[in-house]
Amino acid sequence: MNRLEATRLLVSLVGDSPIVASLGHPAYDLFAAGDRPANFYTWGSMGLASSIGLGLAIGRPDLRVVVLDGDGSLLMNLGSLATIAALQPRNLVLIVWDNEEYGTTGGQPTPTAGGADLAGAARALGVSQSVIVRTDRELRDALAQPSRERGASVIVAKVSESRPTMKPPLDCVFIKQRFMRAIGGPELATEGGGA
Amino acid sequence: MSVVSSAPPLWASGACAGVHAAGCRHVVYVPDNPLSHVLREFAERFSDVRLILATREEEAFGIAAGLYLAGATPALMFQSSGVGNSLNAITSLFLPYQIPALMIVSMRGDESEWNAAQVPMGRALPAILDAMAVPYVIPARSQDVGDLVRLAAVTAFSTRTLRACLLPRRITSGADAAFAGRS
Repeated sequence: MNRLEATRLLVSLVGDSPIVASLGHPAYDLFAAGDRPANFYTWGSMGLASSIGLGLAIGRPDLRVVVLDGDGSLLMNLGSLATIAALQPRNLVLIVWDNEEYGTTGGQPTPTAGGADLAGAARALGVSQSVIVRTDRELRDALAQPSRERGASVIVAKVSESRPTMKPPLDCVFIKQRFMRAIGGPELATEGGGA
Repeated sequence: MSVVSSAPPLWASGACAGVHAAGCRHVVYVPDNPLSHVLREFAERFSDVRLILATREEEAFGIAAGLYLAGATPALMFQSSGVGNSLNAITSLFLPYQIPALMIVSMRGDESEWNAAQVPMGRALPAILDAMAVPYVIPARSQDVGDLVRLAAVTAFSTRTLRACLLPRRITSGADAAFAGRS
């Protein structure tokens, strides 16, 4: 499966759940698969998508938080897996689109092309619910697991590059305010009210 | 032999009270020697403040951003060297998205430093914050820390800006309190 097909499947399966997307191609494919207010597109801070999702999951235990990371970006912040393991938020699902390359920057191979195993790293750091999926069926099954009973979940999805042709909105404040309103906690600054 | 006191230093109890009074109930941190006083005071007297350990300061910024999106008003706490680990998170996440937070920064490299490796970053930090247009306050005395932390946090969240309170080593090492005691 390529990343866009996988993203389309994922969006169709997660309902209204907020989705935090790593910058570049994971965010571009999320937009192409279906723009929605509960999508938080990052435009920078490579490596931090899983951390943003972790903070969101801690602050909003009533929501199932989905993160779309990449192999190259997770490798920039591997400590995040240890923190996720320590906190074990049951409402966090970290998807790693592992295409074994830095797709957004021209397709240079990442260490996963040489065998680096991110699902194994997650397990070794304490995220017991950590799997590799290679087909849409396996992705569907992994998402259907009752993750709320077992703490945070990491799904490393082996995907091919999809060469996105669309980009999400560029206005970062718009992305933030739309997102916060969508999850039911609008930023005070956007609401107005009593002086 | 030094006298060990169970009472927290004035600056540390002030930092905790200031964070709490500003409504922050999440502190994402990377430990530091002086900040251990603050962590202990939070644990003992402010059990409604959740302390979240990050493996690296940049990661702490990511967690704090997520907490803000969730409706919380997070504080960050680490040593000044950690700001250097976080510049990309500040400039490509917090600033363009206008995500507020209060940074409580335990300074290294300023007066009473002993480690030369800490000096360049400590010396550069105010200029680095100025270059990013991140506002900061520097308390002059231990007894000023509480009010400045509270005001910096309130201002950060009401104006949606990332702000910092830089705690000089002169204060966190106790040199300031010792001087006050003699005078």
